Amino acid sequence: MNKIAGWIAIFCLLFAPALFAADPVKIGLMGPMTGSWASEGQEMKQVLELLADEYNQQGGVLGRKIQILTQDDGGDPRTASLAANRLVSQKIIAVVGTYGSSITEATQNIYDEAGVVQIANGSTAIRLSEKGLKNFFRTCPRDDEQGKVATATIQKLGGKKVAILHDNTSYAKGLAEESRANLKTANVEVVFFDALTPGERDYNAILTKLKGADPDFVFFTGYYPEAGLLLRQKKEMGWDVPFMGGDAVNNPTLVETAGAAAAQGFYFLSPPLPKDLDTPEAKSFVEAFTKKHGHAPKSIYPVLAGDGFRVLVEAIKATDSVEAEKISAYLKSSLKDFPGLTGTLAFDDKGDRVGEVYRVYKVDGEGQFVLEP
Amino acid sequence: MEQFFQQLTNGLAVGGIYALIALGYTMVYGVLKLINFAHGDLFTIGAYLGLTLLTSLALTDHVGGFLGVTILAVMVMGLVGIIGILLERIAYRPLRQSPRLSAVVSALGASIFFQNAIMLTYGAKFYVYPQDLLPVMPVNIFGLSIPLMRIIILAASVLMMIALYLFVQKTRIGTAIRAAAIDQGAARLMGIDVNFVIMIVFFIGPALGGAAGLMVGVYYGQINFTMGWIYGLKAFTAAILGGIGNIPGAMLGGLLLGVVEALGAAYISIAWKDAIAFFVLILILIVRPTGLLGERVAEKI
Repeated sequence: MNKIAGWIAIFCLLFAPALFAADPVKIGLMGPMTGSWASEGQEMKQVLELLADEYNQQGGVLGRKIQILTQDDGGDPRTASLAANRLVSQKIIAVVGTYGSSITEATQNIYDEAGVVQIANGSTAIRLSEKGLKNFFRTCPRDDEQGKVATATIQKLGGKKVAILHDNTSYAKGLAEESRANLKTANVEVVFFDALTPGERDYNAILTKLKGADPDFVFFTGYYPEAGLLLRQKKEMGWDVPFMGGDAVNNPTLVETAGAAAAQGFYFLSPPLPKDLDTPEAKSFVEAFTKKHGHAPKSIYPVLAGDGFRVLVEAIKATDSVEAEKISAYLKSSLKDFPGLTGTLAFDDKGDRVGEVYRVYKVDGEGQFVLEP
Repeated sequence: MEQFFQQLTNGLAVGGIYALIALGYTMVYGVLKLINFAHGDLFTIGAYLGLTLLTSLALTDHVGGFLGVTILAVMVMGLVGIIGILLERIAYRPLRQSPRLSAVVSALGASIFFQNAIMLTYGAKFYVYPQDLLPVMPVNIFGLSIPLMRIIILAASVLMMIALYLFVQKTRIGTAIRAAAIDQGAARLMGIDVNFVIMIVFFIGPALGGAAGLMVGVYYGQINFTMGWIYGLKAFTAAILGGIGNIPGAMLGGLLLGVVEALGAAYISIAWKDAIAFFVLILILIVRPTGLLGERVAEKI
């Protein structure tokens, strides 16, 4: 008799939470858990799980627990569309992700048709938010935003005769053209505009020609391997001109290639590095993350995914609903100056983030990336 | 005018490396009528082996910069030369009697194999040589300031090329190589060990390619596993430009290609640099289909 009562008690304990609590609020995470961007995706997962745990310890949202459902997009459009379909069939109300622009693009319509809010964290291509999709948002800035910041920075640093160099990739060329147009409107002279061939080792011919145009500021919009070689060979030429890069040069290999002496004084634009996030929310978040994983987040994009998740929870709380339409309307019209991890957050009608995200970094004498005030 | 001469030296520095790699293509073609597509990857292997030996042996700490790098160059050349011999044994010799296309496919396969082998051994990231192995100081020549490293590279390339030329022209083995290049069957009848000749060719060519890889590593600092592709392509072009199968032609072709690239970038457009270089190649081939020095068929290699 006692035995049976014991079993009943155990069963009650096991099933009680399931019987009495409401369904959890399901939020999807689509990220590159494998492939060449796997480090980004895995950190996205760590960030979201940490934040979800924190909310759940405070009782979740709408009296329900938050459940994160993760799917791997592999950094590949085809894998991503499968991942999106899988998430939709699991009845998520919203999804955070993903990193690459073309990967996000492959999934936008799937989520839109299913009525799921999507908040991308690393997809900066302009066209993503120009399609008129109601439920698409992103916490990262758009590519044209960087062009504006570049222009402002060049003016602030005193560039009067600017040389712009890109590498013919669609990202770098777009940024270069955007900056050239902006500089023209700002009445700053562009004395040089051309492209190098990425993957080569010797850029002396280009630097010699560049020097011949006599610029007082050089803006390179390409990637870090070439930027490192340019700095190294510029030093060897004994040419002392301020150099600035776009956000594709943000990699320590740049300093290794150039050498700390040649890289010193190099400026570049980037969303803030996790170590430089300064709001109280960010500080306590980085602290909690460090406590759990032994180090601060390595990249800013997972933190931007965290911001996407936090505004979602905020919208669910504020609208007291899990309907995509209400959440989207709230994010676009009512959310103002939300204290995000990466600065204040708000969205415009297209779902793009409002406000400046880019910061200016400078390489110091030890080869460290230091935030410019 | 100063800019013109500056660009000329820029072009010669790049061209010296192209020429050194082009020698490997041209020697193999001269003897075997085979384009060794894996040659660009042997160049990459030279750069990686150089870095590994440099960091593990710390030679430059013991014997100083110049001597250390020279010893390193000899070691790298020997190792890459041995890899070249193995490559010939495994990938080309079994196909010597097959149609020529089979050997070309085998060469492409070897190239893919090497590239992936490097990636899997070292990883896909960029590697960087230690800074300041050799003193960085500009030398003034005729009012032009030229980095010392660039002069060393050009001088080393030219020295190796001259040594090779003398070796092929003046020694017994060199004579055997030239004989095998003209007619393998007849050379064999004259008592020349053709297999040995081919082995020598597959030692020297890759050794020079490996030396070029080490130079690129030491001078430019940054290496990665795909770097052999662009250099291989340019050197191959240089070999054809000079007349494939002809050693002085490869030197001339390499230096010329480097200079055309630099001047094209300087006076026309940087983005169109490669297009200009290849346009010049097409023009030269229309006028001289055998390349600049390629006409003396009897004196191939």
